[in-house]
Amino acid sequence: MDHLALLLWHALLVSVFFAFLWRSTAVGRRNLFLKTFLIMVVGGTMLGWLMYPFP
Amino acid sequence: MTSEKPGERRTAEGRARKADTAKTKVPPALLLASWSVPGLGHWILGKRTRAIVFGVVIVSAFITGVLLNGELGTPKPENPFSWLAAFACLGNGVLYLGRLLWLNGLGGLLSGIPFALQGGGNPAAAGFAYGNTFLYTAGLMNLLTVLDVSDISRGEKD
Repeated sequence: MDHLALLLWHALLVSVFFAFLWRSTAVGRRNLFLKTFLIMVVGGTMLGWLMYPFP
Repeated sequence: MTSEKPGERRTAEGRARKADTAKTKVPPALLLASWSVPGLGHWILGKRTRAIVFGVVIVSAFITGVLLNGELGTPKPENPFSWLAAFACLGNGVLYLGRLLWLNGLGGLLSGIPFALQGGGNPAAAGFAYGNTFLYTAGLMNLLTVLDVSDISRGEKD
């Protein structure tokens, strides 16, 4: 099981959902999608690295 | 002649509009439809693109959760947090009920409510925790669509 693929898949679904829920224009949706997707992927990866030294 | 300033008038109009929308009642059948089938509420309101996107996203998240051996939340008296999980999963509407029917059978479903329902899943599976997350996320997203349908129906949102 690829953890990164699951992270990307979850981030994709949630980002698309909130982009369509909170924005009504194509540009607004694209911007919100990119922002939330990147925050979740980069934030999740960084959190993973920060937790790496802990057992 | 009134000495009302434009800003004050706008505020008064906003208050009046808010009072109007607060009085507007949302048809319970619309909310029920929105909860039961992901995207159906938006479809009924004519928001076809949003309906399709929400339907695809929520069903995809639910199926992913099931394929990863996630467990549907069911209430257990000894575990208070299971009530929160059950609430989140109940948000999936017919997907939740259909999966419970699949796992418990009709007899088991009817006799098992509320504390003897089987939520499926395999705690030993590598994807168990991920699967649970996908199932909870799908349910909570669907509950947000119900709130969105309510806002649209009352005219608070396009």
